[in-house]
Amino acid sequence: MKQNILEVRNLIKHYGPCIGGYTAVNDISFYLREGEVVGFLGPNGAGKTTTIQILLGITLATSGSIQYFGKDFYQNKQHILQRINYASAFNTLQGRLNVMENLLVFAGLYKVKNPRNKIMNLIEYFHSEELLSKIYWNLSAGQKTRVNIIKSLLNDPELILMDEPTASLDPDVADRTLSLIEDLKRKQNISLLYTSHNMDEVARICDRVIFLDKGNIVAEDTPLNLTKRIGQAVLRLSFDGSKENMVKYLDSHNQKYKFINNFIVSIVTEEKMIPKLIFGISKTDLYITDIEVQKPTLKDFFLQIAKGGTKHVNA
Amino acid sequence: MHRIIAMLYQEYFITKRSLEVIVDVVFFPLVNIVVFGFLSLYVAGSRSTHAYPLLVGMILWQLVYITQYSISVGSLWNIWSRNLSNIFLTPISITEYIFSFVISGSLKALIILVTSTLLSLYVFHFNVLHLGILNLFLFFLNLILFAISTGIIILGLIFRYGTKIQALAWSVTFLFQPLTAAFFPVSVLPSAIRWLAYLFPATYVFEAARAALISPAVRWDLFFIAFTQNIIYLPIALLVFVKLFNRSKDTGQFARNES
Repeated sequence: MKQNILEVRNLIKHYGPCIGGYTAVNDISFYLREGEVVGFLGPNGAGKTTTIQILLGITLATSGSIQYFGKDFYQNKQHILQRINYASAFNTLQGRLNVMENLLVFAGLYKVKNPRNKIMNLIEYFHSEELLSKIYWNLSAGQKTRVNIIKSLLNDPELILMDEPTASLDPDVADRTLSLIEDLKRKQNISLLYTSHNMDEVARICDRVIFLDKGNIVAEDTPLNLTKRIGQAVLRLSFDGSKENMVKYLDSHNQKYKFINNFIVSIVTEEKMIPKLIFGISKTDLYITDIEVQKPTLKDFFLQIAKGGTKHVNA
Repeated sequence: MHRIIAMLYQEYFITKRSLEVIVDVVFFPLVNIVVFGFLSLYVAGSRSTHAYPLLVGMILWQLVYITQYSISVGSLWNIWSRNLSNIFLTPISITEYIFSFVISGSLKALIILVTSTLLSLYVFHFNVLHLGILNLFLFFLNLILFAISTGIIILGLIFRYGTKIQALAWSVTFLFQPLTAAFFPVSVLPSAIRWLAYLFPATYVFEAARAALISPAVRWDLFFIAFTQNIIYLPIALLVFVKLFNRSKDTGQFARNES
């Protein structure tokens, strides 16, 4: 069994006075295993960023314990920070310096041996040779993200915390960034704790997802299992025949539906009911011309939580 | 040591690339020295020896200003670039971080001291070395220590309360200018605030500097008080800084500083 790279127990962050203050993180516990990519998701104000800041030591927890590599974070901070790193769309490097200068500074801060060689290797790996002499401030959002990721790899980290690394990127640049992250995971077995608002990318790269809402963990599972918890799918049928007959059939089977036009109906139903429904309709005088099944996605799960529907989605 | 050198590299790169820093730590101090030099000559008239207290006051004052400015503003450059968190996510300790700015501030102050010495020698025919090498060393040491304490507290306040109080970084030292009697004897100050002047180590340094213009003998009595105050104030400043820094991390202000 792979060992835990990160283990968080009963983490609480409370701002303000004990009574009348605000609890941003409410007694959460979770772990991250070696080589695992864990998505950290939730609506705005769920406590994701606060948790990440606590995990990095730039915000203090009210209580709880954080262990990296089996060691207490606060007692071994320097040693642990040498083995982890961070990349975010919201933190940038020093704007006045060029990329090489910025990377040299961080290589020094991480005591990287042969810093210029290390930087050149990473720059080549990310095909970013043309960026080296450019002033950081003048880079595009995509280029800055690439340099931030290069910075986060300078110390050969075993774990990288990524806070929305693809935020504000064009879809094609975001896709390339995700490919780079997938590549890193595959070739270097790096563990990642990954926050994002983009459900598709979380489903694409994460082995496991932790959902936070109002400071609490409300769900934790693989992306596939989480979507299964929704249970309902959308069946879109195009048909030949009378709309009244379709209404009659669906009402008699207690289905929720909405007509797109007289020949297309959208039915929200349990996933397991779909074959039965199609079979049942086809046995009437209605003729099905097209079938489209929209399975629940992580986004649906996210929306359920954002609407406060944790009871519906919890297993 | 690697990490201190890395921070010094960053300071060097920022200074090299920022006209604002060059203006603040080179241009303004040297222009001030030139202006004060001519003003001194004008005020003193034919009695040129009476001119130098003002000039010496300004040269020494720049040591306080440049060191404190470097410590306080150095972090602001990273806050403005949203890079401060990145630095604190590396294994750098707070001691290493502050020490790097102390070194950079002291180096800048030393460079300006050398430059202003040459400037006053060639423009105003005043040789600062006549104050005595040991005196100059003691002036430098005590003023730098005083500036470090001030700079560290201002840095702590910026971490704690954010950039809304960033103006303190380049303005607070000017409050000390009259209070430490940089350009005139303490006796000129109203008696009601004279006791306040004696709370600052810089006051004793400026008094000693004026005395050295008359006789280069070292005023150990004044240096003893200045140094004692400095070694009391420096740990207090560090404690205040640590308290402000931790409070900033507790309230979440440290992370918000960059948002």
